[in-house]
Amino acid sequence: MSTRRPQFNQTVLIDTTPLPDDIPKVQEVGASSAPLLSASYFIGARCRDYNDDYMQCKNENPGRGEFECLKEGRRVTRCASSVIEDVNKHCLEQFTNHWKCLDNHNHQLWQCRPFEWRLNKCVFDNLKLEKKIPDQPQNVIPVEQRPQQIFADRKFRSIEGKPFVPGQEAKQ
Amino acid sequence: MPIPFETLLPYGIMIVMFGATGTGLAALKTWHNEGKNPRYSLDQWDRQMQQRDRRLTGSITGQVAQAVAPPGFELNNPWKLEKRYS
Repeated sequence: MSTRRPQFNQTVLIDTTPLPDDIPKVQEVGASSAPLLSASYFIGARCRDYNDDYMQCKNENPGRGEFECLKEGRRVTRCASSVIEDVNKHCLEQFTNHWKCLDNHNHQLWQCRPFEWRLNKCVFDNLKLEKKIPDQPQNVIPVEQRPQQIFADRKFRSIEGKPFVPGQEAKQ
Repeated sequence: MPIPFETLLPYGIMIVMFGATGTGLAALKTWHNEGKNPRYSLDQWDRQMQQRDRRLTGSITGQVAQAVAPPGFELNNPWKLEKRYS
């Protein structure tokens, strides 16, 4: 990818030549932006090692990462695809509700917390994947577990559900 | 003293005209966003994700949650061409 964006471009070129046979094939992730955003923290939870490997490879091959890191890139793609497949299999209703809400609210996570709590609970129960925002301060409640969101358009009512805290349900 | 009905005719015209333009613009917005709320404050990342959505679903507001892309998706990424200045 070049660093300079094309100026005044009038035409595009769609190159349909497939990759050469000596490069193993991988199926691309087929989810669009809202489902990917909805599942992003679960992809991060399951695929963290693969993603770190890929970024390390890119850092170790500056400028040649597209060629040298194909193997790591295939692992990243397969892992993300597996998470989307599992979430679709086990939590289809909660997942669909959440990404439809995101799609209708400018892809802002704080507008859709009640759907997100249900999705987080279902995914934690079925897939053992936990939403955890990395590098957050320890002395405050994480933002996705607060019952009200400052920037949300509306107040969340209590009948819409409670914030899901992993591990707390089992104790009650 | 009763108001003659001719007094109210301009108000009727104004209501009908503003109503027609407002309904028309609202319908145009709904059609353009395919019944969803419009996106705003988009940055470069959002725009390229919209272009990826267009490659997957055929429209920049369409969404799909398959795990695996349809065949040919990996080959339909366009390269932008520009005239070479020398």
